[in-house]
Amino acid sequence: MKSFKAFFLHRLVREKLLLVAITALVAIMLLSSFSKRAAAFWRTQRATTVALAEQQQWLQDRAAIEAHAQQAVKNLDPARTLDDTRLVGELNALARSQGMRFTNDTPQTERSGQFAVHTVQFNLQKTDWESLKRFYLELTKRSPYIGIEQFSLQSDRASPMQLNASIRVSSVEIVR
Amino acid sequence: MTQPSLNPPKAGAHAPKVVLLPDALFFTRAISMAPAATPAEAATQAELGLEALSPFSPAQLYHGFFWVPGAERALVFAAYRRRFTREQVEAWSGAELVLPAFAALLGGDASPATTLLVTSADGLTAIHWDKGAVPAAVLFRPLPPEVTDEERTRVRDELLRAAGGSREVIELGAPPEAEAALGSEDEFVFRAESRVSRLPAVLAATMDVRDKAELAALRRARARDVMLWRGFLGCAAAIGLIVLGWAAMYGAGFWQKVRETKVAAQQPVVDQIMTQQSLATHINELSSKRLLPLEMISLVSGTIRPVSIQFLRATTDGLYTLKVDAQTTSPAEVSTFRSALSDLPACEKVEVRDQRTRDNLMTFTLVITFHPEALKPATAS
Repeated sequence: MKSFKAFFLHRLVREKLLLVAITALVAIMLLSSFSKRAAAFWRTQRATTVALAEQQQWLQDRAAIEAHAQQAVKNLDPARTLDDTRLVGELNALARSQGMRFTNDTPQTERSGQFAVHTVQFNLQKTDWESLKRFYLELTKRSPYIGIEQFSLQSDRASPMQLNASIRVSSVEIVR
Repeated sequence: MTQPSLNPPKAGAHAPKVVLLPDALFFTRAISMAPAATPAEAATQAELGLEALSPFSPAQLYHGFFWVPGAERALVFAAYRRRFTREQVEAWSGAELVLPAFAALLGGDASPATTLLVTSADGLTAIHWDKGAVPAAVLFRPLPPEVTDEERTRVRDELLRAAGGSREVIELGAPPEAEAALGSEDEFVFRAESRVSRLPAVLAATMDVRDKAELAALRRARARDVMLWRGFLGCAAAIGLIVLGWAAMYGAGFWQKVRETKVAAQQPVVDQIMTQQSLATHINELSSKRLLPLEMISLVSGTIRPVSIQFLRATTDGLYTLKVDAQTTSPAEVSTFRSALSDLPACEKVEVRDQRTRDNLMTFTLVITFHPEALKPATAS
């Protein structure tokens, strides 16, 4: 270090200034680049820390969640639960029995281990209030194996006395 | 007369660049000083003393002095400028210190009544301390190169007599040389045979014989250079720290990779647990919390609905909220209807939103939130 100091001090003033300026410039450039990377790294590692903590929490609660799920299906008869095909079939049969016009979308299924929940959007067109009510009451008799998640009702534009209903229905399936 | 000795830095030794001038060119005198004087006052007193002693003005002399704080005397030394050639003076440029050779030995320990005899190429120098750190006298006698031992002994004895009573005489066969000051940059170290002299930089500055204005400029330049050096060192240290930071971040990258791999590995399991939780909640809601849309609509559109208000669309929002788009030709009845709904025990909250009127027809949205326990499933009748 001493010999380097002697080397530096024996340079011309402009050479010293140049050396200091170059070193300062390099330091600033490195610092700028480093601070950006460090900030990005800090954000990434924070996100990972939070994700790990959340995962840890879920993993810790795993037994309790499994117990809760078992408890939820304890009172259900597996034979009466409906898969997606049976759900659509049941809804079709109900609507037909009331003489209603209907359409339905493709059922969506959410599955986890032994359980599955199937959801389907069911649309009843140009129906009257009484038929709709009967359909609704028949549907509610299938509870808790079939449930209504969302319900929308509006009068038909062409024929205001008639109603169009859109129902999101879900069913539980226990796979044995 | 010999040339001034210049001590270039030895390889690996880092000795400071010091010019030691021949003792023969200087006259020396000890002058009284106020012991309590400050360094600035001491410098003024030394220059005044020199003016009184010398036939030349200080501007015509290369001069310096040796004084330590608290000493009752100072040793002033000066040489007539014209005794140095221009080439000799130019050789001093870049030197950290220029002083007579004997002055380099004033930083050593000296007992009272001690005389130091230094042999140089030009002759013999005697430095005599009677008491204290500042010598009482510095004397020089020239010796020819081919001097005999008898002649040398005679000159030595003469010098000792002239110096005064000496209890201890230290003889050095070689003039001093500058060497690297280990562990400190704030002092100059000189060695002559076994005798070591240490001169603090502040003290050595007063002994530098160069032109004082030039010295001041030199000190300013040195201060600027030191500042630049520190700036350079600071930047270099910053670069070093940043490089270390990069290395640390590179290492931390591996750690982060491991954590990310762990997150990715755990995610399917966690997703499964989350789905299980969601399904369990869903199944629970199917069993215990039923959506009762027709019951809600019946409650709202029952007997309390004014005839002028016509429902266009009803949509459930969650388990206990119903949104109804409606229209009326009698806007005043909206408020009445809202009040009537609020008075129903089953209704927790009623809001009227998006009221628009066009061609005497008002459209609006009713948002009705029901008490969960107030809704009862309808039965076939």
